[in-house]
Amino acid sequence: MDKKTVTTISYLSRLKIDSEKEQKIVKDLDNIIKFVDQLNDVDTSSIEPLTNPLEKTAKTRKDEVTAKNLKKELLEVAPSANEDYFLVPRVVE
Amino acid sequence: MTIKYKTIKEIKKMISQKEISNKEIVEEVYKLIDENSDLNAFVTLNKDSSIKKAEDLDNNPSDSSLAGIPIAQKDLFCTKGIRTTCGSKILDNFIPPYSATVIENLENAGCISVGKTNMDEFAMGSSNETSFFGNVHNPWGEKLVPGGSSGGSASAVAAGIVPAASGTDTGGSIRQPASLCGITGIKPTYGRVSRWGMIAFASSLDQAGPMARTAEDCALLLNEMCSHDIKDTTSLDENIPNFEDSINEPLKGKKVGVVKDLDLSSLDDDVISVYENSLQEFVSLGAELVNISLPNLSLSVPTYYVVAPAECSSNLSRFDGVKFGRRSENPKDLEELYIQTRSEGFGDEVKRRILIGSYVLSAGYYDAYYKKAQQVRRLIKKDFDEAFSDVDVIMTPTTRGPAFEIGSKVSDPIQMYLEDLFTISANLAGLPAMSLPNGNIDNRPIGLQIIGNFLDESTILNFGHMYQTKTNWHMFTPEGVK
Repeated sequence: MDKKTVTTISYLSRLKIDSEKEQKIVKDLDNIIKFVDQLNDVDTSSIEPLTNPLEKTAKTRKDEVTAKNLKKELLEVAPSANEDYFLVPRVVE
Repeated sequence: MTIKYKTIKEIKKMISQKEISNKEIVEEVYKLIDENSDLNAFVTLNKDSSIKKAEDLDNNPSDSSLAGIPIAQKDLFCTKGIRTTCGSKILDNFIPPYSATVIENLENAGCISVGKTNMDEFAMGSSNETSFFGNVHNPWGEKLVPGGSSGGSASAVAAGIVPAASGTDTGGSIRQPASLCGITGIKPTYGRVSRWGMIAFASSLDQAGPMARTAEDCALLLNEMCSHDIKDTTSLDENIPNFEDSINEPLKGKKVGVVKDLDLSSLDDDVISVYENSLQEFVSLGAELVNISLPNLSLSVPTYYVVAPAECSSNLSRFDGVKFGRRSENPKDLEELYIQTRSEGFGDEVKRRILIGSYVLSAGYYDAYYKKAQQVRRLIKKDFDEAFSDVDVIMTPTTRGPAFEIGSKVSDPIQMYLEDLFTISANLAGLPAMSLPNGNIDNRPIGLQIIGNFLDESTILNFGHMYQTKTNWHMFTPEGVK
């Protein structure tokens, strides 16, 4: 973990790190990664990854409309919206 | 008549015998919130509508199981028309247009949601020091943390303000604050309680559960919180027992797994003796202690700190300033809108976890970290599967010690992460687990953890209730034994 890596993952995360906090963040992340590195000592060669403790396939259900359309209510809580869309700064000139 | 420090069971009796009106109960709750405002346990109150609901109940009494019971809701559950912040600046203006299934279930059972409780930002923390709305204090000492992330909920119940609160638990966020505040809380089996309307942190680990004064009250609350919900694809369609039914079963012949590879070397002697004394209580209740092995238990914390940040970095990508919540002012383009909104809106711990998540999921590191952690996660689950072929429950201390001082661990993330050393494995394996008070060290409570087999909350609650019929640690309050 170094300054360059932190810059890359900050951009991937769409986060800007304050320059005065940068040194501490590099150090914290470096310690955390060193801490989780102990997993490398475990032999997992024939072990399937466990992504979810249930390991059950989600049940299918009939394709029926069950929820109310909340378009108006959802657009009302947006920072900026018109009657149909969320509004953001212009993307295409 | 007062409801301070009363259990749900006691308040139900007070209502049915007309010793107190529903309105008097709710009014007392707001008086207690006011008197305890220094705890900073609540972020938003729901006063007018709660008093109205209580008046309606006085006019038209209901026989619903939790009619008139005041409950504090963790500010992680969406509540229709009531601000829901998740402890974050990025949601400080968010008013959801719908309620979480858990909230609907509790309110349909008659609960009155009196307010939203403070919490670590996005449930990331073990001391309630990461909230945008400030630290929560432990009623057992103003300098002490209440634990986290459900710190406001734990503090409100421990102070006797409300008999019940909702919490959520991703790595210990119900059990660790329950231990540090001297109350009882259970994280159910993954999939028991719907996650719909819960603001997601780590989707394969998050689970909601009740926090209350006794195991019996937790059973009453869990009866209503559990449901099969088609809106959550991980919600289990399994039989939901009445958790009260088996609560009084004798423990004779039942087996308690004691983890022989548990490293207790970092614990103080008095913490170990509190733990060992409670094991002996269960022996005197007729249970048998059986040594079991969980050889990969020590890998729980590092496994969690890959899996949880990975899922968090993905879940929290939805907070972009476009659809809801806060948006930064005057961004020059869309990308700057995303970056500024997120950089201004998230606190340091949340940023740290998002960055770790982005790192372990990035090309070139995915197999080394994320896949590896998921493989170790299976080993941890396998250990539990084998152990539960021999025993009914497994017991450990909930925490490494009682409540610590505000500020004492906040600068060292790893030290804070190790707070959840004993609790994290139940989340990784999807198992139900409870914490209940089992001792007091220097006037600070501490808890015992009881882990159960898959879908077997009933046995945990049975063990907890039988323990509480024999001991009075759950009756200790910051003002003495009640």
